[in-house]
Amino acid sequence: MNIIVCIKQVPDSTQVKVDPKTGTLIRAGVPSILNPYDHYALEKALAIKAKTGAKVSVLSMGPAQAVAVLRLALALGADEGFLLSDRAFAGSDTWATSYALATAVKKIGQFDMILCGQMAIDGDTAQTGPGIAYHLNIPQITFCESVDSDGQHAVVKKLIEGGHQIMQADLPVLITMTMPVDYVAKYPSFMAAHKAQDKQVSTWTAADIGADLHKLGLEGSPTRVSRIFPPAARAKGEMISGSAEEMAAKFVEILKKESFVK
Amino acid sequence: MAKNDLITRNLMLDSLKQYAKNRISHEFLREHDAKNEIPLEILKEMYDHDVLGVHLLLIPEEYGGLGGQTTEIYRVCEQLARIDLGIATGVFATFLGSDPINVGGTPEQKAKWFQKIAHENKLVAYGATEADAGSDLVSLRTRAERVEKDGKIVGYKITGSKMWISNGGVADIYTVLALAPGGPSWFIVEKGTPGFTQDAHEDKHGIRLSNTAGLAFDEVYVPAENLIGLEEGKGFLQAQAVFGYTRLMVAAFGLGGGEEAVETALMYAQQRIQAGGPLSEKQGFMLKLITPHYVRFEAARAYIDWTAKQLEINNHGLATEGAIAKLYATESGNKAAEDAIQAMGGFGYTKEFAVEKIKRDVKITCIYEGTSEVLEMTIFRGRWQEHLKSRGQYYIKQAEEFEALHATHPDVGADSVALGFRALARVLEDCRLQKLTRHQYITFMLGDLISEAEVAAVFARQCAEGKVTEGSRFDLATLKIMSRVNARLSAFKIATEGMKLILGVGAASAQDLSQAVNLVGIEEKMTGLIEDEDLVSAKLRETFKA
Amino acid sequence: MIQVGANCVGCGKCVSTCPFGALSLVNRKAVANASCTMCGACVSVCPVKALSLPAAGAVKKDLSAYKGVWAFIEITDDGKTQKVRPVGFELLSKGRELADQLGEELAAVVIGDGVEKYFAELSSYGADKIYSVSSPAYHDYNTAAYANAMVQLIKKYNPSVVLYPSTYIGRDLSPRISSELFVGLTADCTGLSIADGLLIQTRPAFGGNIMADIKCPDYRPQMSTVRPNVFKKVVTRPGSMAQVVNEVIPVAAAAGKVRIISKHFDEASTQEKLDEAEVVLAGGRGLKDAAGFALLEELAQELGGAVGASRAAIDLGLKPKEKQIGQSGVTVAAKLYVACGISGAVQHVVGMEHSDVIIGINKDANAPIFNVCKYGFVGDARQLLPKVVEAVKKAKQK
Repeated sequence: MNIIVCIKQVPDSTQVKVDPKTGTLIRAGVPSILNPYDHYALEKALAIKAKTGAKVSVLSMGPAQAVAVLRLALALGADEGFLLSDRAFAGSDTWATSYALATAVKKIGQFDMILCGQMAIDGDTAQTGPGIAYHLNIPQITFCESVDSDGQHAVVKKLIEGGHQIMQADLPVLITMTMPVDYVAKYPSFMAAHKAQDKQVSTWTAADIGADLHKLGLEGSPTRVSRIFPPAARAKGEMISGSAEEMAAKFVEILKKESFVK
Repeated sequence: MAKNDLITRNLMLDSLKQYAKNRISHEFLREHDAKNEIPLEILKEMYDHDVLGVHLLLIPEEYGGLGGQTTEIYRVCEQLARIDLGIATGVFATFLGSDPINVGGTPEQKAKWFQKIAHENKLVAYGATEADAGSDLVSLRTRAERVEKDGKIVGYKITGSKMWISNGGVADIYTVLALAPGGPSWFIVEKGTPGFTQDAHEDKHGIRLSNTAGLAFDEVYVPAENLIGLEEGKGFLQAQAVFGYTRLMVAAFGLGGGEEAVETALMYAQQRIQAGGPLSEKQGFMLKLITPHYVRFEAARAYIDWTAKQLEINNHGLATEGAIAKLYATESGNKAAEDAIQAMGGFGYTKEFAVEKIKRDVKITCIYEGTSEVLEMTIFRGRWQEHLKSRGQYYIKQAEEFEALHATHPDVGADSVALGFRALARVLEDCRLQKLTRHQYITFMLGDLISEAEVAAVFARQCAEGKVTEGSRFDLATLKIMSRVNARLSAFKIATEGMKLILGVGAASAQDLSQAVNLVGIEEKMTGLIEDEDLVSAKLRETFKA
Repeated sequence: MIQVGANCVGCGKCVSTCPFGALSLVNRKAVANASCTMCGACVSVCPVKALSLPAAGAVKKDLSAYKGVWAFIEITDDGKTQKVRPVGFELLSKGRELADQLGEELAAVVIGDGVEKYFAELSSYGADKIYSVSSPAYHDYNTAAYANAMVQLIKKYNPSVVLYPSTYIGRDLSPRISSELFVGLTADCTGLSIADGLLIQTRPAFGGNIMADIKCPDYRPQMSTVRPNVFKKVVTRPGSMAQVVNEVIPVAAAAGKVRIISKHFDEASTQEKLDEAEVVLAGGRGLKDAAGFALLEELAQELGGAVGASRAAIDLGLKPKEKQIGQSGVTVAAKLYVACGISGAVQHVVGMEHSDVIIGINKDANAPIFNVCKYGFVGDARQLLPKVVEAVKKAKQK
């Protein structure tokens, strides 16, 4: 059984700050991390590997330094890594990104299951996974909390409005993962990090995967940013400061005035 | 297997950070600090191969370890120190305790003991210090008597005591320095050997999460195969061979502790509103209590990293460089932690914030593995020889190098580095002519000035070469500004402190001397200093945004 | 990367605008570095129009054939009954405005089993037409079946705009359709309008405190997803009846590759339902840890409110993802909204700004949250909350 996990390097959102004056992001010194949803998806793939002996490959698209997240994945137990890195990919929106990743998956060849995080925390679109599934002409199940496989089928717990459903899919299938609240990401031991250096990471350009250049980068991206602007300013309300006791008293006074406490 | 690359090192550091984030909270540290208790379960977890296996760094690959290079070991030390210096010391003691085996052990000894440490996750302690033999080991009292059988040495009986041994009460394996008939020698003693006892855990000012205890040896029998290197009298050489290296680790402790304190204070200052704006926006606050420290941290980082890379090429040695790194980084870290308390005012003085503990903890880095004063003496001795051998040209030559560097790279402060070197050469020469080095105080202070000059030089050169030091959170442009600030301040310190020493002890005309060290030339470089420092402050606020 | 024309005057506006820090001034000219993602954010801020994206030689299609605004209507299933998910009415209400501006038709697209019963209500929210695909085979949502039906309808009737709810179903379905049709899809829009005949899709962007207008000039239909509660539902045509177009589309063969084994519904109390709660208490990074959230839960008990969280708190694992309030989470319109230790980044604000009374607690007096608050408390929420709980308890006893 072959599993491909699509992963992305993103800025650590818990450390990204906003410049109060310009409203833009302060990226200086913000570390890059493996997108947490992808981290979870990878761990699920490795759990299937532990059970069935599946081969787990990891695929990412990004600048050369994105190789760091592939190395993390290899240290955690993935077998082989692939990085799509080429200026031709720059400017890609979710359409072009999913086309490029799907084309790379075809080049990798063998796959029974593709796992993705439900979305990247720097984009929040949740579109790339379904896009890849379309380009590969395989079914998808999105927003899954767990996944298992007997080698013939995938069985997932998928979130739906107001609950969840257990679903079964024929292979090959693409599954996007969401993480449970108590999820604590695993990190490799020092020795595992050391040994990951010897695993293979292939870097591919657009030409290497035989992608149609008209479907990459700006050309392959229907959406355009036409304007950016700060959110509309509003009048400031009443500001209250003082000791905790004073403020608590004022808080209750307000609740009474607005009749939330009778 | 390949040496660890940068990505691998960063993976290791990320794993360590994540482990600390999940398992070691401020409350946890505070509780153990109050109870004066070593968190043994944490150390055991950090040694667990499936969790981190941090101790494998020091074990050569052929014995099941990682064969860690100096760079990753110092970077791990820095990160450990940012978590807690007590825990860091517990890990470091294993590193240090294994070093005599690494340096002097026979292949069979290495195989036996390293495999034990690697696979059974044993804690190790380094038993050198005695009541009368601290940083200076010459007055060693612990003795090892030969035990002979049929005319052959079959073992040794060790008698004596050791004090202030890190991991002293909790280690499984001890490397112990004792005076054998053939001279000082290292012995491996296992816990539970008859006659070997450990004293109670000390009640210390700081690093209270590190177990520190005395050791007592009453005719403790160890087999001859436990004599490291199977040859008596090699103990001092084996101890000194690793000083350059081990002191670099403690330098990283000083750096990590200092950074953690200053960053905590800076985060706080960005939320503390004073007179209509955050404290961190106030120039006086930043330039007095925050910015100069971070400038010194980046200088220290550049120097430590440079020394580490040199050690990776030269393996061992570099005792003077190791001493400079440790003196500069730990004294900088210590002063920074003190100012971090000041920066946070009353909050800094309470145990609710980490800086108070860091201040107590980081002080040890100025004491263990060679006190600052022993280091100053070491640095002085090392470079005094160079000064004499080169007939006063040692630093003149380096000044010329930096004058040339300034011509091609005018934005890294190489001009001030050169001025500092010229002033230093002149101060050393005056000390020689007037025989001032018979005053111990002068030798200490010269050691300090030498370290100032050499650190500033390495920092400026790294910036000129376009190197952003591994682990730095700043870009090259910011590091260049920091280097300019640092070089100017260090040149000024060398000139003024040097003059003070010579005028204070010897006989000289103040006017002639100030011309000789080119004090005016050094002061002229101060133009734009505050502007540069303000730029650094702005970058600090951006990088460590609350 | 972005192209800088010779007419650049070096004003630096683009430098501070770039969300990726990819622009700098070198010799008084803007220069882009390798971090440039060609997002185009800088193009519109340049006062002399010196910046441009490389020309994308997209094949210009004749777009005039594409007319009409569509809203995909989601049917919810609570395990007992099925009904229209209210967000469908919100999409129709907004769609009505857009269709009026374009002078085109508004259509509701409803796929399901026995959907005729929804027609009257859909009509009252302004639909001119209803495209209906109704069969027991469409009883449960299935990606392949629904995507195939939508693609066939779109190809047959060529709408100009298609709106989807940003829900589990809408987010599963819409990217599958946009991929097949090679059209743009903008997620989680907080504003939709028409300019020069194009759909302007507004959403917070780049994770920062900044909004972006996004358009798809060369591709049709223009597609967007919108979170529930973002737009108000307005009955614009009470009593009217839309023209119904029934389409018979066989279920795609690929639908059988994925099967539902079992469904499970949570017994959620109304108190836990964030989007319907009248009192919402939200916590952010300033609450620090689980103990901080426990304080918030306690206050929620006293006030009978629901507890949500900001993106930052979710990322720290302090609350499950479905409790996230903001652009990529739940949008709420509560009577009382209390933001505790939340800085107020725009992606949070767009998810709660329609609440009536907003109270903010933050230790940073400059936090942007205070710009939307009726009452702003400057202090550490962790220290203030226990006192507030105590005071509320006392007040209730009296």
